[in-house]
Amino acid sequence: MNQRLEAVREYTGGTSELGCPEDLRRLLDSVGGHAILLLDPRGQIAAWNEWACHLHGYEAAEVVGQPFSCLYSPEDIERGKPARDLEAAARDGRLEEEGWRAGKDGLMFWAGVVITALHGENGALRGFGAVWHDLTQHRRAEAAQAQRAAGESVARRAQELLDISTPVVRVWEGIMLAPIIGLLDSQRTQQLLEKLLQAIIDTGSSVALVDITGVPAIDTQTASHLIESIAAVRLIGADVILTGVRPAIAQTLVHLGIDLTGVNTRASLAAGLHAAIESLKPSPRA
Amino acid sequence: MDERISVIRLRGVLLITMPANPDDSTVTVLQEHALKVMEASSDRGVILDISAVETLDSFFARTVVETAAMVSLMGGETVIVGMRPSVAITASQLGFTLGNVLTALDLDRALDLLADPSRERHRG
Repeated sequence: MNQRLEAVREYTGGTSELGCPEDLRRLLDSVGGHAILLLDPRGQIAAWNEWACHLHGYEAAEVVGQPFSCLYSPEDIERGKPARDLEAAARDGRLEEEGWRAGKDGLMFWAGVVITALHGENGALRGFGAVWHDLTQHRRAEAAQAQRAAGESVARRAQELLDISTPVVRVWEGIMLAPIIGLLDSQRTQQLLEKLLQAIIDTGSSVALVDITGVPAIDTQTASHLIESIAAVRLIGADVILTGVRPAIAQTLVHLGIDLTGVNTRASLAAGLHAAIESLKPSPRA
Repeated sequence: MDERISVIRLRGVLLITMPANPDDSTVTVLQEHALKVMEASSDRGVILDISAVETLDSFFARTVVETAAMVSLMGGETVIVGMRPSVAITASQLGFTLGNVLTALDLDRALDLLADPSRERHRG
């Protein structure tokens, strides 16, 4: 890019050797993807390459002699940005930034911009070189990616929350503990079962303690999810002891007519653990 | 005999391994085979390995329960081994029970179960 601007700076008119104005014009027109403009010190457009036509929709004849502010967005024009950009480029030698540029039909595109101050041999300002390219695709892709990342972050948080709410712990060799805090809905039950069943298989556990000490009250939904969970654990070949059945829970279960006769139950987690450890001891052979 | 079911006699027990998506005819073959072998030998029972099975439909479940009942009538027991968590969860949600069929976590435990009649049993 800098080499191209060097060529613009050093051009002298009127020879037919390589480097004459015709060649340089051809060079500028050959550059794809970048609009290249030559501006006089006041910011009027002196030269305009082919890609600039493509990006903005104006033919050279339409813009040469016009102030280059016409290529900025209406808001930027109102705020005096074009003049400020030229001042900054004159002061610092170069301005590099991203900003909106406007096309003939009013359509905006997001551009990567470089404006360079061009000085003559005596050091006087001869004008500016302005080069920009369309970053709109890039920006759209960035925005889409940011949105996706935000969405993924939210989903991850939700999953983490769900994970924390259904812990599964190996509490003894061959014994898994699933303490349930609160009530069980379908989603939590699914989450709990996936974790518990896999943990039982991975550790080769024979018994799962499902502890409901932390369940404030049994409603029919929680009760049926509990029964489902017990059935699922038995289907994969482990046994279940339902622990933490407090008096209030026992009363509710009977009043609701819930049949847990096939299920091993205990009033406290401690009692359940004790029973589980006993059951794992090898049975005496006859 | 269907190629996809593998049947092995091992330590006085019939080990049948089911393929991933058993169709109805495969399932029927399993029943016939189990009973034929029970008749020919004095095997203690049948171990059905379903660790490859991805979905358990009602026909399969019913056939298993029926087969277990028949095996029981012929003096043996049936143990299901290796049910996948996803299958177990779906089955429990649908209220499938396997009746009096025993379940075991792995083949080792299934063999122990059938070898020792006094051992505590889990029924599905």
